[in-house]
Amino acid sequence: MIEIEFLSAAVLSQKEGKQKIDFLVASLKKGKILVLEEPLTHSEETKLIEATMKSVSEKFPGIEIGTLGRNDKNHLREQIIRMLGGKPSGFTVIGPSKLVRQMKRDPETLSLFAGDGQKR
Amino acid sequence: MGLSALINWFMGITNIFKKKKTIRLGLYGAPNAGKTSLANKISMDWLGEPVGKVSRVPHETRTIQQKENVRVKANGFELSMNLIDMPGIATKVDYREFMKYGITLEEAQKRSKEATKGIIEAIKWLENVDAALVVMDATEDPYTQVNITLIGNLEARNIPVILVANKIDLAKAKPERIREAYPQYPVVEISALTGENMDELYNEITSRLR
Repeated sequence: MIEIEFLSAAVLSQKEGKQKIDFLVASLKKGKILVLEEPLTHSEETKLIEATMKSVSEKFPGIEIGTLGRNDKNHLREQIIRMLGGKPSGFTVIGPSKLVRQMKRDPETLSLFAGDGQKR
Repeated sequence: MGLSALINWFMGITNIFKKKKTIRLGLYGAPNAGKTSLANKISMDWLGEPVGKVSRVPHETRTIQQKENVRVKANGFELSMNLIDMPGIATKVDYREFMKYGITLEEAQKRSKEATKGIIEAIKWLENVDAALVVMDATEDPYTQVNITLIGNLEARNIPVILVANKIDLAKAKPERIREAYPQYPVVEISALTGENMDELYNEITSRLR
């Protein structure tokens, strides 16, 4: 059975910096696929990769991650929206790589291939 | 203001006007994009010695490799740089993948552990580079989260970026996909293996990063 957890912006906004990343890694290690209502920033994504690498083991070889709809061309606009307490556009999907075999994106679509079988 | 504070202030002012003599140029990208091949090509062209070992097995470069004082001359300009070949950045490292290349279990597990450390090190170095070449395999889909995250991080830190579409010697190469995916960045199409278009890359480096 595959568990997909949708995390509202409110849930993650209560967690700061490392606490937020640790929370995500702990959920991923439990085998959950996470859908974040508020997309991670580029900086958070690198911190997540870093934290993931520190946790890599036989049972948890890593993650697949994809962010869609974030305005990557206008960082300033996104920063201002966050500073004013608003929700930036887009969402992030993260899953343990043992479960999520591949994430493919073209600019407007994110496809996730999950399961215990072979990679497509 | 004390004397030492005054000296520090004066040094700070003069440093603003002093041109930086050597830049730290980081080579970033996913594993097997050809970063070490490119670092070797640049270093061989200007220093006559390679930077590191190249392999078809992913994560061959697991520690940061540097060549200091590489002086690139092109376009009537000269640029001195410390060339920093970074381990490939990935979101997963599974030792079982290495075993497909005939590596023993023990060696694969060791390689996996070293690869994770290398990725962490490469991420930490994002704070220390002055400019970056983001190397992509032109035969692969460029629109990966690793590439997007890397470029986004460099941009957020105001670090100048040149995208390198590598492996154009291969028939499957489609460097135009990199241009389409990242239209706001300069893209140079090269083959680090054959040396094709390296002059264009040197022109870009000396004109954009000096």
